[in-house]
Amino acid sequence: MIQFILMVNKQGQTRLSSYYSWLSMSERVALESEIIRKCLSRSELQCSFLEFRGYRITYRRYASLFFIVGTDGEEENELGMLEFIHTLVETLDKYFESVCELDIMFNLEKAHFILDEMVMNGMIVETNKGNILRPMALLARESGKDESIFK
Amino acid sequence: MSIKLRDLIRSVRSCKTASEERSVISRESAMIRTAIREENDQFRHRNVAKLLFMHMLGYPTHFGQLECLKLIASPHFPEKRIGYLGLMLLLSEEADVLMLATNSLKNDLGHSNQYIVGLALCTIGNLSTPDMSRDLCTSVDKHLRSGSPYIRKKAALAMCRCLEKCPDMIEDFTERIIGLVKDRTHGVLITSTQLMCKVIEIDPQAGRAAFTRLVPSLVRLLRNLLSMGYSPEHDVSGISDPFLQVSLLRLLRLLGKGNEEASEGMNDILAQVATNTETAKNAGNAILYECVNTIMEVESEDGLRVLAINILGRFLLNRDNNIRYVALNTLGKVVLQDSAAVQRHRATIVDCLKDPDISIRTRALDLIFKLVNSSNVEALTAELLNYLVVAQGENKADICTKTLKVVENFSPNDRWRVDTLITLLTISGKDCKDSVLAASIVYISSSSDDLKAYATHKLAKAMRDDDGTQEGLLIVAVWCIGEFGEMLLQPYAHESVSFQPLDAMSIVDSLVVVTKMVRCTQAVKRRALTTFAKLTQRLGHTGDAVITKLKMLVKKHSTSMDLELQVRACEFSNLIEGKAGQGALARMPVVDPKLRQRKNLTRKDSLDIEGIARASTPQQGGGVGGEIDNGGGGGGGGGGDLLDLDDIFGGGGTVSGGGYQVQQQQATVVQQTQGGGQEQKKNEDIDLLSDIFAAPPAPAGTNNGQTNVLDMFGGSGGAVQPPVVPTTQGGNIVDMFAPQPTQGALNTGVVSDLIGGQNGVGESGKDVITAYSKDALTISFECRKMPGKGEAEVTAVFRNGGGNDMTGLNFQVAVPKYIQMEMLPPSSTTVKTGGGGKEVTQKIKVRNGMVGQKKIMMKLKIGYVVGGKRIEDMATANNFPQGY
Repeated sequence: MIQFILMVNKQGQTRLSSYYSWLSMSERVALESEIIRKCLSRSELQCSFLEFRGYRITYRRYASLFFIVGTDGEEENELGMLEFIHTLVETLDKYFESVCELDIMFNLEKAHFILDEMVMNGMIVETNKGNILRPMALLARESGKDESIFK
Repeated sequence: MSIKLRDLIRSVRSCKTASEERSVISRESAMIRTAIREENDQFRHRNVAKLLFMHMLGYPTHFGQLECLKLIASPHFPEKRIGYLGLMLLLSEEADVLMLATNSLKNDLGHSNQYIVGLALCTIGNLSTPDMSRDLCTSVDKHLRSGSPYIRKKAALAMCRCLEKCPDMIEDFTERIIGLVKDRTHGVLITSTQLMCKVIEIDPQAGRAAFTRLVPSLVRLLRNLLSMGYSPEHDVSGISDPFLQVSLLRLLRLLGKGNEEASEGMNDILAQVATNTETAKNAGNAILYECVNTIMEVESEDGLRVLAINILGRFLLNRDNNIRYVALNTLGKVVLQDSAAVQRHRATIVDCLKDPDISIRTRALDLIFKLVNSSNVEALTAELLNYLVVAQGENKADICTKTLKVVENFSPNDRWRVDTLITLLTISGKDCKDSVLAASIVYISSSSDDLKAYATHKLAKAMRDDDGTQEGLLIVAVWCIGEFGEMLLQPYAHESVSFQPLDAMSIVDSLVVVTKMVRCTQAVKRRALTTFAKLTQRLGHTGDAVITKLKMLVKKHSTSMDLELQVRACEFSNLIEGKAGQGALARMPVVDPKLRQRKNLTRKDSLDIEGIARASTPQQGGGVGGEIDNGGGGGGGGGGDLLDLDDIFGGGGTVSGGGYQVQQQQATVVQQTQGGGQEQKKNEDIDLLSDIFAAPPAPAGTNNGQTNVLDMFGGSGGAVQPPVVPTTQGGNIVDMFAPQPTQGALNTGVVSDLIGGQNGVGESGKDVITAYSKDALTISFECRKMPGKGEAEVTAVFRNGGGNDMTGLNFQVAVPKYIQMEMLPPSSTTVKTGGGGKEVTQKIKVRNGMVGQKKIMMKLKIGYVVGGKRIEDMATANNFPQGY
């Protein structure tokens, strides 16, 4: 099961975090900063997996942004998780049209909406980009009706 | 009016420092709280969105929880969406607010818009509590049959959460879940397989019983996926829906585990997946990896297992580190099941030790330790040692310990074992733990003489070759040379190995070289010192020159800066000279590791007992003290006897400053005689001190302790008799602070009686003079020198030899100018008739400024009433002994 998904930039600033099991705020902050420190200390040549505080961390770096997935237990397929991260990035890319860190930052809620369509309670719901983005279209339509909610 | 979300993000971004950021956020938080208070509907969702952002940054956002509830009740989709998002992110399942959301969730579950239903399901799936799960599971169940796959897939995972929270409901829903496998939508399939996995995880028995019959359909699903060819909808780099495939394989694994029949049914498809999956891309490898895991865990055919391990072997050759990592991980898991198959890839695994990625190296190392058996131990240990050479800063100590274990378990012969141990020490003597050194020494000392000679020669050579950095090697070598040094004098040859004999001088010289090295640690030096001492025995027969040199070497250390070295050097010098040395420096008995272990255990036990005893004794003392109303920690020194005495005396004694010194002496005596429990004694001393300075009526136990101690040493009263004085003085102090003259006096009497009434007997450092004796009154001065120059303490003891009590005692003293004097109040103003224990004491502190030139002189003025008659008298006391 996925325990958390993080998007953290090279400076260690969290851009998106989603936890699927409860952690207190202080634990989260500590966890995030430690994980990103570990990820940053690894070179491109090293593998994308870490074991940390009982979590199995799978991370992948896209430009300046680290996508980090923490799972629990032995059962998880690390390579599958890597593939999932890639699908997530592709989906974000499709939605934001060549996504960058700022897109996620300024459209935090939209990134969360997309993530919610893909992961629920730590499990994968959908991996088809079209299916994921369909509700987003509805949201856009509805938002269009009364303008400037998030802007 | 609060700012827009974008503006907030922008202003946070532009913050240079963390404190700046905090102030921006707290300002905004305040704004939002105000908006919440004012029920500002218009910006509610914007505020919640801001809270999400602040939450992500790690700031408190609890005040926004109710706003989320208001938003989810909103009819507008965007507001609802934000509300639900806020609910999912800001709330934990513990939050009470969640109960309030149940109603809104119920409403939304019945909404006509599938996306709104989906939102509600998503929220249930992420947050549902046991109560909510019970309330809502029927609606969730209804949606499992919904016409829309969007709702069905979400309902499956919502159900997953409900069953997780209320496992007792599993039975009711298994049939419904089974129905989901017929679905054609990938989203529903992937969620329902995950749901089934979860059910099996929660309740393995019921889950397996219910789902095992699905194996054929699952197999069919997987086969369809394999043969489907290109489907644009779920294609990931040429493979159709790897996520679903992985998920199905996992479910098959759970179902086939321990179930022959089910496993039989999946053999073919597993083989098909294993052979047909495209491995050029990560997605394919993910499937293969899952497939291998499944093959290894279910009861699959042997051929299939070999195939699986070969796939892992192929993974190991892959250039992608991620794939090698999972391969090593999986091999580590399966090595115990199918060792032979994994052994075939040994060379590849060993190669991974050379990988630049430390994660890979660590995995490979773990795996190698698991792979070692008696047939490959030589080859693998060689690899391990090679790795140890290049390993940098990694847990070398750990590797050493593990290698030691390998050597201990699988060593093919003794010689190899000695070789390996020495090589290990040569390579990483400075990193390995003490246990490795100990094990090496124990092993060498317990081996045959032939092997000892070999090991000693080899170690001596290694030591000479070393540059002084491998501390562990040096320690072992130095120890062995000390122990078996005489063996170096003989040549050694075995098969191809041969060592030249060394002469005694060169052995000593090589040791000296080691200790003189800059990097030589104290630990090595200490061992070397012992070795020098031992060598006087081992090499004694080789001539006086060597002995002299060794003695000189030992002696040299007696001026060492290192205290340990210095002490040992002195001890050894004496040992070498004396006769005891022969026995003491003889060869050590062989250490039996098992025996040692057992000893360690028993020692621990006895320590525990001591600890308990130590803890309980002072308590006892304290308890008694309390009884006698002293409150202080009474003297525990005497144990039971002492306690009895306490009862007899009924308390009341005190300790004076002077008494303390004696007390301390006493304590030392007790310490020496009683051996253990020294710590406790120290505490006692401290107690005494605190009593002296804090509570005037100091513990009776202390005083009595003295007598008791004296009693214990039987008849020493006459010679030492310290208790008398302190007690008399003690009485004085009691009087000063508490009206207990009788008791105090009585106390003293009894005490002195007990030890044989040696009142007035001169004690070292105490002189008694009679200052005044007229009518019935006798005043004697007990003089005691104090530490300061010319300082003395004079205790005036008033005795009434007449038949009537003297009352209204008034005692005044005048001294010449060169003397400073301080008088403390008398213990009583009534001098009772009769001797022992009824005296009144008064302390006078004197400082003689001309000590040595002039003695103390005092003019005394005495006044008292006896028989109703006032008596006044004057006298001079100039008979002070010399030195006052």
